[in-house]
Amino acid sequence: MKKEIHFQLNGYEVSAEVESHKMLLNVLREQFHLTGTKEGCGQGECGACTVLVDGLNVDSCLYPAFEVEGKSVTTIEGLVAKGNLLHPIQKAFVEEGGIQCGFCTPGMIMSSKALLDETPHPSEDEIKRGISGNLCRCTGYVQIIESIEKAAELMETESSKATD
Amino acid sequence: MQEFSFIGTDTPRPDAPDKAAGKAVYIHDLTRPGMLYGKIKFSEYAHARIKNIDTSRAEKLPGVRAVITGYNTPEVRIGFIKDNFALKKGKVRQFRDEVAAVAAIDPEIAEEAVDLIRVEYEELPGVFTPEDALREDATLVHEVDVKGRPKTDNLVPVPWKFVSGDVEKAKDKAAYWAEDHFETPLIQQSCMGTAGCIAEFDLQNNLLIHTKTQIPFLAQNDFNQALVAMGLKGKNSRVIVPTLGGSFGTGLDTHGYEYISILLAYKTGRPVKIVLTREEEFTALSPRQPSKSHIIQGCDKEGKLLFRDIRMLLDNGAYTSWGATTPSVMMLPISSLYRVPNVFYETKIVYTNNTYCQAMRGYGNPQAAWPMESNMDELAEKAGMDPYEFRLKNANIPNDITPMGLHITTCGLKECLDTVAEKLTWKEKRGKGKGKARGVGIASLFHVGGSGRVYRSDGSGIILKLDDFGNVSVMSGGIEMGQGFNAALSLATAEALGVTPDKVTVITGDTATCPWDVGTHASRGAFTSCNAAISASEKARKKIFDLASEHFMPRIKSKMKKRKRKDPDFEIPDLDYERVCDPSEFDMKENMIFLKEEPENPLLRVTLGDILRAAHYKEQGTIVVTEAFYDPCNQMIDAKTCRGNVSATYIFGAQGAEVEVDLETGKVKVLNFVAAHDVGQVLSRQAIRGQIYGGVVQGLGYALTEEYRTNKGKNLNPNFLDYKILSAPDIDFPIEIKCVETHDIEGPFGAKGVGEPGLVPTAPAIANAVYDAIGVRIKSLPITPEKVLKGLAEKK
Amino acid sequence: MKKFDYYQPEGLSEAFHLMEKSGESGKYIAGGTDVIVRIKQKVIQPDALISLRGIDSLKGFEVDGEVSLGSMTLFRDIERSEEMRMACPALVEAVSILANPQVRNVATPGGNISNAAPSADCAPPLLVMDAVLTVAGPGGERKIPIEAFFKGPGKTCMDSSEILTRITAPQTDRGTGMAFLKVGRVSQDIAIANAAALLVMEGETCRKCRIAAGAVAPVPLRLRKVEALLEGKKVDQELMEEAGRVAGAEVQPITDVRSTKEYRRHISGVLVKNVIQKAMERVG
Repeated sequence: MKKEIHFQLNGYEVSAEVESHKMLLNVLREQFHLTGTKEGCGQGECGACTVLVDGLNVDSCLYPAFEVEGKSVTTIEGLVAKGNLLHPIQKAFVEEGGIQCGFCTPGMIMSSKALLDETPHPSEDEIKRGISGNLCRCTGYVQIIESIEKAAELMETESSKATD
Repeated sequence: MQEFSFIGTDTPRPDAPDKAAGKAVYIHDLTRPGMLYGKIKFSEYAHARIKNIDTSRAEKLPGVRAVITGYNTPEVRIGFIKDNFALKKGKVRQFRDEVAAVAAIDPEIAEEAVDLIRVEYEELPGVFTPEDALREDATLVHEVDVKGRPKTDNLVPVPWKFVSGDVEKAKDKAAYWAEDHFETPLIQQSCMGTAGCIAEFDLQNNLLIHTKTQIPFLAQNDFNQALVAMGLKGKNSRVIVPTLGGSFGTGLDTHGYEYISILLAYKTGRPVKIVLTREEEFTALSPRQPSKSHIIQGCDKEGKLLFRDIRMLLDNGAYTSWGATTPSVMMLPISSLYRVPNVFYETKIVYTNNTYCQAMRGYGNPQAAWPMESNMDELAEKAGMDPYEFRLKNANIPNDITPMGLHITTCGLKECLDTVAEKLTWKEKRGKGKGKARGVGIASLFHVGGSGRVYRSDGSGIILKLDDFGNVSVMSGGIEMGQGFNAALSLATAEALGVTPDKVTVITGDTATCPWDVGTHASRGAFTSCNAAISASEKARKKIFDLASEHFMPRIKSKMKKRKRKDPDFEIPDLDYERVCDPSEFDMKENMIFLKEEPENPLLRVTLGDILRAAHYKEQGTIVVTEAFYDPCNQMIDAKTCRGNVSATYIFGAQGAEVEVDLETGKVKVLNFVAAHDVGQVLSRQAIRGQIYGGVVQGLGYALTEEYRTNKGKNLNPNFLDYKILSAPDIDFPIEIKCVETHDIEGPFGAKGVGEPGLVPTAPAIANAVYDAIGVRIKSLPITPEKVLKGLAEKK
Repeated sequence: MKKFDYYQPEGLSEAFHLMEKSGESGKYIAGGTDVIVRIKQKVIQPDALISLRGIDSLKGFEVDGEVSLGSMTLFRDIERSEEMRMACPALVEAVSILANPQVRNVATPGGNISNAAPSADCAPPLLVMDAVLTVAGPGGERKIPIEAFFKGPGKTCMDSSEILTRITAPQTDRGTGMAFLKVGRVSQDIAIANAAALLVMEGETCRKCRIAAGAVAPVPLRLRKVEALLEGKKVDQELMEEAGRVAGAEVQPITDVRSTKEYRRHISGVLVKNVIQKAMERVG
């Protein structure tokens, strides 16, 4: 069966006609051509498909598309600000070597955002817990953790600038 | 000590921003106009005759554009001994055999069509261990060889044997020796981005294929041979490589799905995309070669190694790919890790109905390091020596030639061993933790660091193209797969040429526009391509300084005049504007050309772009494009003697671990890990850290948790739920790394390769630490709690 | 993936009606992290999924002496509730290490329990609390003690039209301590074995004891022999060791791709011993 769903995508109100068996991942990649979110396993084990729904990180490969009605979805593309400015988390990953092949990166960054939005100054253990659902085969996680620590600093600087 | 502007710095990788923004295009993200989706039907048996394939229902499904089998397509032979076929006829020899394939207008229809294909099989008995396959009455996996001659056994005709000195005599002389058996399992590369390709033909029947590969030019060659088989002799293939989601050796071969995509594209006249699902990535791609080793090593009274005897039995699986050549790489550490005068190494490679294997990071070295470095500790114990001291005593030294004829130039092994021992506080800890079930272990590695000559050419080409503004395009035949190739190449070019890294664009992965490269393997990418880039940069500098000779002073004069026009009060300085400088007077740094004699003079400098435009925009003008082809000073191994200096330089390293074993659960907990690697020179600091940390964590998975399990040829754990790679919380201990810089003479800026060694000695280091902790030696990987508890019980 | 219809009822009676219409080939779905995976693996092939995500009466929890937990409460909310941590620490412990954050943001105890995997992490903590499950169907509501709920791997006592709506755990007595432990192959894993313990202590004597283990039998199992061993006794190191031995003998593990029968038998003994110790430390 088909239905038209309406939701917020990266800050914009959007709608799409979707089939009932499609997952949010399919809708994002195939209908909205937002290919930044990846399919790594399709079974909720690797986290490459992680996006934010109402601010919470979820595996979009297991998220039925119909369920996104009325919700707000943020993908990796949505973190890039107008003027092609990388979000502080993206910037931190670039500066601290948290990116190698890059396939796990969008999902990893979205989980980092969910973590830092809830816990602005996470400990190393909290960081590891926060990204425990995002597998990486390249980095060994060390520079990813360093990137998230840097991201926390950058986000704090930004928010204190905003309040000045 | 040379001072560098960019080499060794923390400059971010140039490919990182696009990846962070989700803009990088992987094969999964790529579409081509009019594209169809392909899906493969795999065998339902490990060994069976194909009696009939009924594709009629699939062909009738709306949206299906082609259904192919081995019976309605030309025979395409694949694999380096050509014993494999793109689509199977006659019989299937493993579960992953491709029996049919479909192209359809969307992936769901393709999947449905595959389910509608009915194959009738007559099951045959299968052989699932090399021992079973070697029995007199064993079923033959291949009844004939590639030339059609009948086979009488399951041996693969790729024997490897290395002999140096006289091991039998040495056995008599040895004061101590240690003998044992070791095993390694199938391991999956587990790239986060699965494999795939899009094949299409142009209107002249030339092939264009976008594919996940590390060997675009060898793949081009393979695909051209397939075109010949398809009746398209003389037609060309163009291979384009998209961003890779990891590779770790999966891209070192060409695969059935690529040829099937090509056949479907030819049949339909449209681009056909095949991308493997995660399950197919496990079941239909080729994992790391498993091994069974019997090893004996012996030393004299003083602890000097006298001999090493290793015999391996390798399960080749149903067809032959690079797994069968891993002994040619294993031969290097087996003959040359530590100074061992007498070595005997022989392998038996056997066809079975299991999955065939190919390359994975380390290409046999992890399988060789496991028995060697575990047994090294066993021998040290027999000789009553501390394992770290024992290794120091036998360590390789610089400027030495090994029994295999490998020319060791720089060698930092002693320093690496010392670093690991120091950081683990070896002397305080070794042998002292048994009460707490704690122990420390160490292991060394030896690998090629200046490429490894396995093909008629071991070259890497580079083309440098400068534009009017001093931007540099570097076209390279090498491949970025997450290891930092682009980072190393852009820094090396910037450093060698005299520009800043932001001016450098690295372009790779297109056989039509990039110069030939044998492939990014053997940890050779940075070594060879950066050397070529240095060469091409030197040529470019020569051209630029020749042009500067003509244009330097005139440009300065012109700038002064322009300034005077803008600002009448400006006084034009008194310089010799008519002087024609000699090219040898110039230097260039950070996009600026200046005179060597007066590097600080602000008046006597011109931007690179300025000179290039002046040279270009005039009658009979010129632009600067240079090229270089670097083929290292290495040799192919002689097929008979197995001798030859395979690499231009060699890399060494040591890793060590402190572990604690939970005696109740059998779980091995890592408390501390140290990795010291002889890297020659750090090129990109971000990339090298990533390679070593990443290698260590892959090594720990290999040591403790990863195993591709099969039952009668069928994969039992084709998913991440049950094939356990490590996640962030598993790294609950510090990993300290040290890059030992030995400043290699052949390497670019002194650098050696570093892509593979990170996971070579990890597993034996862990096993050796476990032995120190609880006195139990685990001899098969992974070191699971079950095996630890069994070992403890047996010890009682 | 096979196509299925997807319905989003806003109330229970609408859900029952949709299930009746779908007949044999309909299935309820909660967070989806089990059901969607099983559809993709072709283990189940329903024609219709009836989502419980929109039924507000199934969400939320209340602690008022007893604990009343809506089956569709998200794990992430249970994890973060201080109230729940005080009232059912073993459950919160299990929930906070279940899978990973992405799963916990959509998955629910109702889904976990209804899926009835022998390894279900929610089961042992609820078993030791003598939880009661409220199950609703077109014919009305019934209350089932959790021990009677599991019938076999993936099988419950519910018929296909019924929905688990609420989980109730009685108020715990003074002197209660409870804990949960789990063993996997890596830090984030499905359980090779898990266990929970609830002890009510009077001084050094155990007045009441509940022990449950998962992934070591066709269903999450109450270990009655272990409970009988401990009740009324002074719980010292020796008794805990004995409890571990009895547990190892009482479980009925199998060998599968994740672990062996022998290891599961051994490790469940270790887990039970340790979880009793941990529960003892928490008595208050």
